[in-house]
Amino acid sequence: MEIVVCVKPVPEAETRLRASADGKNLDPESVKFVLAGYDESAVEQALLLKEAVPGSAVHVVSYGPGPRTEEVLRSAIALGCDRATWVESPNDDGAAPGVAARALALAVAPLPHDLVLCGKQAGDDESGIVAAALGELLGVPDFSAVIDLRWDPAAARLKFQRATEAGQETWEAPTPCVVGLQQAWNDPRTAKLPAILKSRKATIAKVPAGAPPPTGPQNLPEKFELPPPRTGAKMVEYQTPEEAAQKLVKLLREEAKVFP
Amino acid sequence: MTPTVLVVGELQDGHLTGSTLEAIGVARSIGGATVVGFVAGSAAKGTAVEFGRFGVAKAYAAEDARVDSAPTAVTAHLLRPVLESSGASVVLVGGTTFGRDLLGRLAIAWNAAVATGVTELSPVEGGLRVRRPIFGGRATETRRLVAERVGVAIRPHAFPSPTEAAVTCAVEVVATIEIPAPLLAPQRLGVARPAGGSGPSLTDASIVVSGGRGIRGPENFHLVEELAAALGAAVGASRAVTDAGWRPTSFQVGQTGRAVSPQLYIAVGISGAIQHIVGMVSSRTIVAINSDASAPIFKVADYGIVGDLFQILPALTAEVRRARGLS
Amino acid sequence: MPDFSLTAEQESLRDLARKFARTEMAPHAAECDKVGRFPEEIYRKAFDLGLMNLNVPAEYGGSGLGVTEQCLIVEELAHACGGMTTSVIANCLALEPILLGGTPEQKDRILKPFCAEYHLASFCLTEPSGGSDAGGLKTHARREGEEYVLDGEKCFITNAPNASLYTVFATVDPSLKHRGITAFVVPRTAKGVTPGKDEEKMGHRASSTSTVQFENVRVPVADRLGAEGEGFSVAMRTLDQTRTPIGALATGIAQAALDHAAAYSLKRQTFGKAIAEHQAIQIKLANMAQSVHAARLLTWHAAWTIDHGAKGTLESSIAKCFASDAALHVADEAIQTFGGYGYMKEYPVEKLLRDAKLTQIYEGANEIQRTVIARELLAKYA
Repeated sequence: MEIVVCVKPVPEAETRLRASADGKNLDPESVKFVLAGYDESAVEQALLLKEAVPGSAVHVVSYGPGPRTEEVLRSAIALGCDRATWVESPNDDGAAPGVAARALALAVAPLPHDLVLCGKQAGDDESGIVAAALGELLGVPDFSAVIDLRWDPAAARLKFQRATEAGQETWEAPTPCVVGLQQAWNDPRTAKLPAILKSRKATIAKVPAGAPPPTGPQNLPEKFELPPPRTGAKMVEYQTPEEAAQKLVKLLREEAKVFP
Repeated sequence: MTPTVLVVGELQDGHLTGSTLEAIGVARSIGGATVVGFVAGSAAKGTAVEFGRFGVAKAYAAEDARVDSAPTAVTAHLLRPVLESSGASVVLVGGTTFGRDLLGRLAIAWNAAVATGVTELSPVEGGLRVRRPIFGGRATETRRLVAERVGVAIRPHAFPSPTEAAVTCAVEVVATIEIPAPLLAPQRLGVARPAGGSGPSLTDASIVVSGGRGIRGPENFHLVEELAAALGAAVGASRAVTDAGWRPTSFQVGQTGRAVSPQLYIAVGISGAIQHIVGMVSSRTIVAINSDASAPIFKVADYGIVGDLFQILPALTAEVRRARGLS
Repeated sequence: MPDFSLTAEQESLRDLARKFARTEMAPHAAECDKVGRFPEEIYRKAFDLGLMNLNVPAEYGGSGLGVTEQCLIVEELAHACGGMTTSVIANCLALEPILLGGTPEQKDRILKPFCAEYHLASFCLTEPSGGSDAGGLKTHARREGEEYVLDGEKCFITNAPNASLYTVFATVDPSLKHRGITAFVVPRTAKGVTPGKDEEKMGHRASSTSTVQFENVRVPVADRLGAEGEGFSVAMRTLDQTRTPIGALATGIAQAALDHAAAYSLKRQTFGKAIAEHQAIQIKLANMAQSVHAARLLTWHAAWTIDHGAKGTLESSIAKCFASDAALHVADEAIQTFGGYGYMKEYPVEKLLRDAKLTQIYEGANEIQRTVIARELLAKYA
């Protein structure tokens, strides 16, 4: 099976968020960009499928500026991806979801792809539509909120569940298609040291993204805001558990106004 | 010039979903807009009239049984000609899985500027200004969508449901069209209601009670569930709990589990590691109950009780039941 | 001038070590320390990820890293637990004599199978009669045909109870003093090799340490490293290589102590404010930060010097000596910052002092480091 997995470099979870000088975006200074969250799970899923289906290969693709995108691709290679392509974005501003999908499609469309895997949403902008947009661009169905993805060789179909608001849906689909993975492994594999060293020498194909057409739809950042700093919890003083309960219910009812 | 705003209906049990109703409310609040509805599926014609209950006078129905077990891409395909014929320049949809998938296809097929998870929206010159949470709710961004065609998926529960304002809804049944074979090949074989008892589902609930490692064992989790039942809340868990197998992973709230943003989130015996925080920090009100006064959860909580949860929880459950007049 | 920024490769290696340290080592550090447990499952995981045998070239199955990269990794591991780190890097110490004194045939025959699977090795130099006085060691190697017969006792040997391979220094002729010392590789399975009981230590309690008895142990000539009488030089050149990572180990302990103290000082309130706002604590933290910073940079400079082909004896002695003294002092001040709580085993800082202490003693006691520094220094003025 030819598996393409699309990933995005995102700030690591512990990053202290700060607005840029113009107040429009995240300040990337001192931010470490990594492969994380659902994208990390998508790579893990791709590698699990590669191991389950003999003769498979995994090609990892990412869109973004250097050097973070190249580093994320190398970390995916160190985990076991066979090949990598970097669609280099012209700037650092965090592309709108449609722009990212179009850029990724530039790399993915010419590659052999039975399955295109994406994480459900990126840890930063959390738009969650790249899988669907990619499906439209490639002319194939897309499925989001996918868990428990398997390949059934006898039926030559993908079998999976989707965890949607309607409940747990059972699906089967022929390839090619795009999957937005909701499954998250709490312990995805860790790249071993020799693989990390080897990944430094791997060749990464590069595709220029090209500028979006100037008259197309624009999705422009205006403001990046942090919530007012939380001042810390108002602690409930009490002598007995009953008193604590009474005071809390009163606060929730009268002050926070969230009591049902 | 009055823009036409088209609201795409999502159905659950044969009716428009709560998030669709919220989208209708937002559409109607856009000054000077004409609002139309759209529904696709085997019972589209019958359900399209529901738009009328909330003041929408016209709706398009793509009555097509092929939709029901097909990917969302099919609905997006059926919507395309309606976008042309309705002259819509704005598409609004509830930001559920369905809504986001639909918007993703439209971003390309309709060449639209799109945004999902939107919590505030206002018309501006050339398009719409939207506000949305990012980084798990730890920041918010404002963006300007400048385009002839704009699509927005609103964040569920961020907008109020519209008041009923019944009008007659004129339903136009759209002609059946060809659907590309690759979109029809996948099949949905079944749907199972969410496991986890009779409470609301985690992502929909307006109150969530979550238990963490402080619960000490699966045999004690009923304390969390009893408080949730008293509040009419959904039950969640930290990763420590699901890793230990005390509850299934579908209960997990956090970076690799569900992200929730209810009105009220009660964290019981949860220390507040960042991986959990990003899954719930955008909740409106957060209450933390923990025996460790220096637990990081107290930094993000609005109210805190430092104490033994094995004593506090039963007392709290009893007080909630008393306050709500439950037997 | 060295460029102080890390390459992307160095950052990746450091991140790997940090992730392993935080997720696999740190959660078990207190428990292993409390009961003196040797966490073999953690060492196996370290091996699986390629965090052991760092100094062995890749052609023999090691990671083939330079001293700088080793230091980056060792500091991260030591931040989580000094004792576990000591056992992980003890392989490097034990295998270095093979790298320095072994023939290509020996490296191939001994290192390849050793590095292919999880194994521990021990460096056996110290004896009850002398550690610093290594030249006066008494373990005897008597030549008999194509074999040597080893007799003697080693002590304070890291990993000895769990090792499958020992690098042993013995003398073929005590009258030659250090010129009689010869290096050998001895498998645990050799008849007459008896590791002792794991000692009860002040710190590094997740690491195992014991005596090793050699009683009429027959060692083939093919397992002698280098020529007779070259052993002392092999031992000293080994320590030249391993001294700097000990500086990194001590730096890791010191950094952990600083982290705990600084975080605590922002939360603990006395006299109506966080203790971080009291000048006495600020001065303490400032001094601690200076020590940690200096320890790290001295270590990095020594590593850079060695990686660029120099012997680096002066630089590595300074780094090891300074960093270990700094670790002790910083851990001490961290306990002081915590006050009464720092004295309680429930809090993590007293362990750091106990772990820091060993770094002043092993791998060349600091008194010896100072004589080495003086010798190297004065040679420049002679």
